[in-house]
Amino acid sequence: MDKLRARPVLVAVFAVLGFMLAVAFNSSARAHNTRGSRSADLAGVVRDMERDRTALQASLDELRGEVEGIDRRAAAAVGLQESFTKDLEEARVAAGLTDYAGPGLRVTLSDAAEVPPGEDPNSCLVHDYDLAAVVNALFVGGAEAVSVNGERVSGSTPIRCAGTTVLVNATRVGSPYVIDAVGVPADLEAALAEDVAVSLVFGEYTVRYGLQATKERLTEVTVPSYKGNVSPLFARAVSEGER
Amino acid sequence: MIVLVLAFALGITLGLLANLSVPAVLLTYVGVAVLAALDSCMGGIRASLERTFDDKTFIFGFVSNTLMAGFIVFVGDRVGVRELYLAAVVAFGVRLFDNLGAIRRLFFERMGWE
Repeated sequence: MDKLRARPVLVAVFAVLGFMLAVAFNSSARAHNTRGSRSADLAGVVRDMERDRTALQASLDELRGEVEGIDRRAAAAVGLQESFTKDLEEARVAAGLTDYAGPGLRVTLSDAAEVPPGEDPNSCLVHDYDLAAVVNALFVGGAEAVSVNGERVSGSTPIRCAGTTVLVNATRVGSPYVIDAVGVPADLEAALAEDVAVSLVFGEYTVRYGLQATKERLTEVTVPSYKGNVSPLFARAVSEGER
Repeated sequence: MIVLVLAFALGITLGLLANLSVPAVLLTYVGVAVLAALDSCMGGIRASLERTFDDKTFIFGFVSNTLMAGFIVFVGDRVGVRELYLAAVVAFGVRLFDNLGAIRRLFFERMGWE
């Protein structure tokens, strides 16, 4: 029996075939990973970004601490520590960069546990505008600091709808929404009672749609500091003289 | 024959090492191209066994099969008949088994089992 000799060309093409198979295998494995569950993938992206944000926030806190330290040392060097740090502290407080604690009010809003028959499910959720109304009413009532689920409401805080959750600053918050406000509890409560939108939330929405809304006076409530960016990109401060 | 298996293994190893990946859109092209290549290789083995193997025919067949397969997929995409690639898949699939049958027969003949 004569030996069958493989032609070099055939051998080469077999190598090419192997290569192509490997590449195809690789690609389809990846394609199924990403295409198979696009929403899962996006959820992963969101999770990753949220983790990044948490890490960045931690480093921001750290850097702010450093800046504070440097500010103090610089002020001490010039001998103006007292007044300088006082100004700085006031600015920080005004910007919401410090935790606030004091007497206040805690408002808790939750989505309806179940949709009453015949009602629009959408009506049975706490919406961004409900939260915004409560926050606004609290400020009307003289609140000195307000937070929603631990997110400080600063001068540039948006409260907006994001799918089934609400974004406060850039953080997703979900039901139950806990709104803490530092202020005179009686005043805060009065302001809530006077606000039409808030009254609806506490009244009709609770009765008809099953929303849960409670308010609770607290002798001590802590509102955490604002964690977002406070350095403007476009705005520049106008000094007294310029005006 | 062992050389072929070794070359095939080498190709796979290189392919995996290269860690290339084709965008999902082009996956059909790759699939059909692989099928065309597989068909050509089977044809090559068969021709070797039949002693009609010709380098030029083989290479030209390999390249033209692969290109034509790609072209059919492309046309299918453009014309809106995405399933047109099935034509290539079926054609190559049938030929593949045809060639395999022939190889088996020729192999048995050579071994004197028949």
